[in-house]
Amino acid sequence: MNQNETLKIVIVGHVDHGKSTLIGRLFYDTGSIPEVRYREIEATCRAQGREFEFAYLMDALEEERDQNITIDTASTFFKTAQRPYVIIDAPGHKQFLKNMITGAASADAAILLVDGAEGVREQTRRHAYVLSLLGIRQVAVAVNKLDMVAYDRTRFQQVDNDIRVFLHSVGITPSYVIPISARDGENIASRHGKVPWYDGPTILEALDSFGNVRAEAGAPLRLPVQDVYKWDDKRIYVGRVETGEINKGDEIIFLPSGKITRVKSVEKWGQTDLPQAISGECIGITTDDELFVERGEIISRRRRKPVAACQIRASIFWLADRPFQSGKTYTIKLGTAEVQAVATAIEERLDSSTLEVTERYAAELMPSEVGTVLFTLKNEIAADPYSENTRTGRFVVEEGLQIGGGGIIRSLTDKSGVSAQRINLGESFIVGDEGGLVDLVDEFGSIEFDVTSGFVDYLGKGNCILFKLRDLGQLDPVARLAFQHDLSFLFSRGDGSLNIVMSKRSPHGRLVSDDNGNGPII
Amino acid sequence: MYDHLDDLEAQSIYIFREAYRKFENLAMLYSIGKDSTTMIHLARKAFFGKIPFPLVHIDTTYKYPEMIQYRDRMAREWQADLIVGSNAAAIEAGMSPAAGRLVCCEKLKSEGLTKIIEERDFHGLFLGIRRDEEGSRAKERVFSPRDKNFEWAYKDQPPELWDQFNTNFDPGTHIRVHPILHWTELNIWEYIQREKFEICPLYFAKDGKRFRSLGCMPCTTPIDSRATTVDEIIEELKTLKDPERAGRAQDQENAYAMQKLRAKGYM
Ligand SMILES: Nc1nc2c(ncn2[C@@H]2O[C@H](COP(=O)(O)OP(=O)(O)OP(=O)(O)O)[C@@H](O)[C@H]2O)c(=O)[nH]1
Ligand SMILES: [Mg+2]
Repeated sequence: MNQNETLKIVIVGHVDHGKSTLIGRLFYDTGSIPEVRYREIEATCRAQGREFEFAYLMDALEEERDQNITIDTASTFFKTAQRPYVIIDAPGHKQFLKNMITGAASADAAILLVDGAEGVREQTRRHAYVLSLLGIRQVAVAVNKLDMVAYDRTRFQQVDNDIRVFLHSVGITPSYVIPISARDGENIASRHGKVPWYDGPTILEALDSFGNVRAEAGAPLRLPVQDVYKWDDKRIYVGRVETGEINKGDEIIFLPSGKITRVKSVEKWGQTDLPQAISGECIGITTDDELFVERGEIISRRRRKPVAACQIRASIFWLADRPFQSGKTYTIKLGTAEVQAVATAIEERLDSSTLEVTERYAAELMPSEVGTVLFTLKNEIAADPYSENTRTGRFVVEEGLQIGGGGIIRSLTDKSGVSAQRINLGESFIVGDEGGLVDLVDEFGSIEFDVTSGFVDYLGKGNCILFKLRDLGQLDPVARLAFQHDLSFLFSRGDGSLNIVMSKRSPHGRLVSDDNGNGPII
Repeated sequence: MYDHLDDLEAQSIYIFREAYRKFENLAMLYSIGKDSTTMIHLARKAFFGKIPFPLVHIDTTYKYPEMIQYRDRMAREWQADLIVGSNAAAIEAGMSPAAGRLVCCEKLKSEGLTKIIEERDFHGLFLGIRRDEEGSRAKERVFSPRDKNFEWAYKDQPPELWDQFNTNFDPGTHIRVHPILHWTELNIWEYIQREKFEICPLYFAKDGKRFRSLGCMPCTTPIDSRATTVDEIIEELKTLKDPERAGRAQDQENAYAMQKLRAKGYM
């Protein structure tokens, strides 16, 4: 990995559990607080008649210090021997969830803080769930304020257990659970011997152990058109390559319009003839044909293109003060596209802290609630399921003039009414020790498969592939896949899920076996 | 190799293009410093060499002559539309830091800016602030709405996520766009080193002194330095213990000086 590649870390957890203090302490212990800044905080605390508050490094607003609470998210910059970091402080109070999400949405990894004396609380769980919705999978837990419980090991283990159980329910496995005291500096940047029973990493070591997960390697080209500049007798489409890459000479398709052309040039200022641009780059392109395409369309290749969606099913987290209402028309912003969308149904309404489904086919979502919502779009837009492409699989919903919530696309339907959630069997099948696996448990709505030669070859060599299904509705497409490719399958029912083992039928009607002769025999 | 500077650059270009697409009548505040000069370089990258909006410089009459010479020379070179604004009434009435530094900043800078925005009916301004400069800037959004009186509702900012910015506002609202909010001081210098664009000569040491942050003469102190090249400045930065704006007197007036100035429209 690039030495200079910055990692963004968000610190989350319940109000008052010590998030800002942790950051202040981390900076102090690594000599990252300038002397004058330290003296300014010292003077403020003295004037308030308080002990030194490390939290004031982040809580810089007067209102925050007066009430000893973080109101808005703030970013600060920090460097270890290994790499630079952006550390994002998030507020813990429920009222400021919109600020917490603003901070967390761009993070690569998170530290979830739990007060060791208080244990797991409402916002601990809510924040953990938000991390999982945002797709942040690298999470370390810090059990803080252990000085208040005399660094008691049993107490730590209890909190450790509680938080692991909850994280498991939202699909997160913590990298570490670290016993700390932000106030005393235990296990922040160094060890002071207060927790001899712990031999894992400090907070600082945990940060350095995180990987950089930003690039979506292998994802196909997605280049949303941000604007069209008609300058210097040229028509330049500008935008950022969200995933994949674009080359001079490529055949490309604009969606939802479906217009097809070739890339004549890939350009930046002063570089009008680049061979290629990769994900992350902001570029301009010119095309062979004069098309009249507008902002909001997505450029891709004809193979593995996004869906021109007219219906979207998504998980919505709601942040505005006014409730989200079924039947109301909202503006959705996805990539550079904007579309009017009717909230046709709130299929499920969820308490984002207990994860309890409180209502089906609900009329409203209240602030901080999460729901599964079906939107009917007034015009088509190009999009992907979030599981296929996070950059083009998420959107925001406007409430009045402001952003009111965020959405994660679970499934999409195009004009033909056929559900257009396509599962690419080159990407979503994993080869493990016990054969291949296609996990469909997280796929909502109906599905279709894009078969790849790798998939067919793998079966042709006599291997088996296990399909884990979400429900019986997925049986149809799986059976069709088997029929079309002359495959056999077996049912099995394992740990509460429905499993299908697929393999290649031998010419004699027997199933072929693998090299060791261990194949399924019928 | 695509590196962290490419990442920062791409993010800034994306912000510029979003704002340019969404708002009519934008302008960029040009303070002559390294940050706003970097911002101009990034705008030229975003718009293929053009700067498709005017630059506004608020003159307090307390700027160093080198700054003004550099400003005028660069504006010609960039073929930029440079507007110089000021609060003429306050200047005539003899406003100076003697009246209180914060009062002076507010009169000459904030009010000077308000005047030009109203005269020219600008709907939004690009500003070269960075989150690492000080505490209240660390809490800024990329697109930040200001009300009719240019006040910042920092206690109730709208959410901003996934590069989806708030772009619809009540009539009369004014938008501030911060294209380099995510850069650090060191990033700026590394970028100047890589891109080799010219910055104001006051940043380089002369007679053992140089400016780390540029402002008005009465309220800006240079630091001791031998750094005469960008490479030397980058080396020097790694050894400096004081924050970047330590030489800017208005920041040091009291604990919440910057928060209060900025809540009322200061940049
Ligand atoms: N005893 C003890 N107190 C702590 C520790 N860490 C933080 N505190 C105190 O807990 C209080 C809250 O700390 P903050 O850092 O402001 O908490 P926070 O999680 O940032 O709070 P919000 O941002 O408002 O959600 C402060 O008074 C801290 O001094 C610790 O390790 N031990
Ligand atoms: Mg806090």
